[in-house]
Amino acid sequence: MNTLMARSDAQERTAGFSARVAENQRRVFHIAYGILGNWADAEEVSQEAFLQAFRKFPSLREAEKFRAWVNRIAFRLALNRQRGLRRRLVRDDSWHAAGPGDSVDGATQAEQRLLLERLRQEIETLPEKLRQVLQLSIVEDMDASDVAQVLDIPPGTVRSRLHAARKLLLEVMK
Amino acid sequence: MKQGMKNDCAKWHDPLLEAALTGTVADDLQQHLSACAACTEQFLALQSRRQRLEALLPLVAQGAEPSPDFRARVLAAAEAAAQPRGARPSPWLAWGFAAVAVLAVAALITTYALRSGSSQPMPQAELANAQKLAQWRAPSDIFLDTPGSDLLRSTPKLGESYLHVPAKTDKEKQP
Repeated sequence: MNTLMARSDAQERTAGFSARVAENQRRVFHIAYGILGNWADAEEVSQEAFLQAFRKFPSLREAEKFRAWVNRIAFRLALNRQRGLRRRLVRDDSWHAAGPGDSVDGATQAEQRLLLERLRQEIETLPEKLRQVLQLSIVEDMDASDVAQVLDIPPGTVRSRLHAARKLLLEVMK
Repeated sequence: MKQGMKNDCAKWHDPLLEAALTGTVADDLQQHLSACAACTEQFLALQSRRQRLEALLPLVAQGAEPSPDFRARVLAAAEAAAQPRGARPSPWLAWGFAAVAVLAVAALITTYALRSGSSQPMPQAELANAQKLAQWRAPSDIFLDTPGSDLLRSTPKLGESYLHVPAKTDKEKQP
């Protein structure tokens, strides 16, 4: 009887967790990818973030709680990995596998790829506080309050830092 | 361009950036733009740059997508992480099993030792054989009782002097 109940609990837990992964996987992956710029690393970090969430799932059953927690842990894991990779930072070209780049011709695509690579480099040179806000804000489905939760700063600070980051980029991206 | 004009334009650099970013042009900047072709040109360039930046920025994060089987892999990894924990006995239980096993082996060894070491009465036939073996003498033992045995005993050993060997005269030798 107890075994049956335990099995039922486990199934319920897995089903609930599966639903949460479906809701959050794209955003979590983009958080990691925005920082790491490498598809394989981003997938590994995202998977690790979800595994950690699974271990804590009993206390993260609420959707909002899960979302905030997994965003934060993915961001931290990605930053940690980036520190490790910084010396041998390898970026891949898989960015064009999806998105608007698909509709443009080869020459434009190549030019856009170069621009994107330059933009990544310029983002890397931003002051850390501005860079972190920007890297999180460019993720689809992340508003100022989400970013504020991850960085543990007020939403107003997020907006002002984001503005400052954009201004710096506008100045250097000639 | 005159030096005074250059200085005048330099002070509009930041308002131009702000205007390009926000899309809102303040009145004083608007007045300057209507009178300054260089700043107007710069403003248009900044607006174009901002549009390009807005198009590119999302691609930094959203330029790739997770693989289609990402969720399946996460769930498999989560189940794999959970499975051994559920199936594996607790460390205390494992230690308990180990202790019981050690005790069982010790009990078996003790029992065997006690059984093999216990003094059971020896069968009569076996006892007689053992006595026979104790009384057995090698065939060469007979030489020890021959007359030559005396000679063997009186002959000096290696390294001994003959002087110490008692010599017997012929008379003494005769009975």
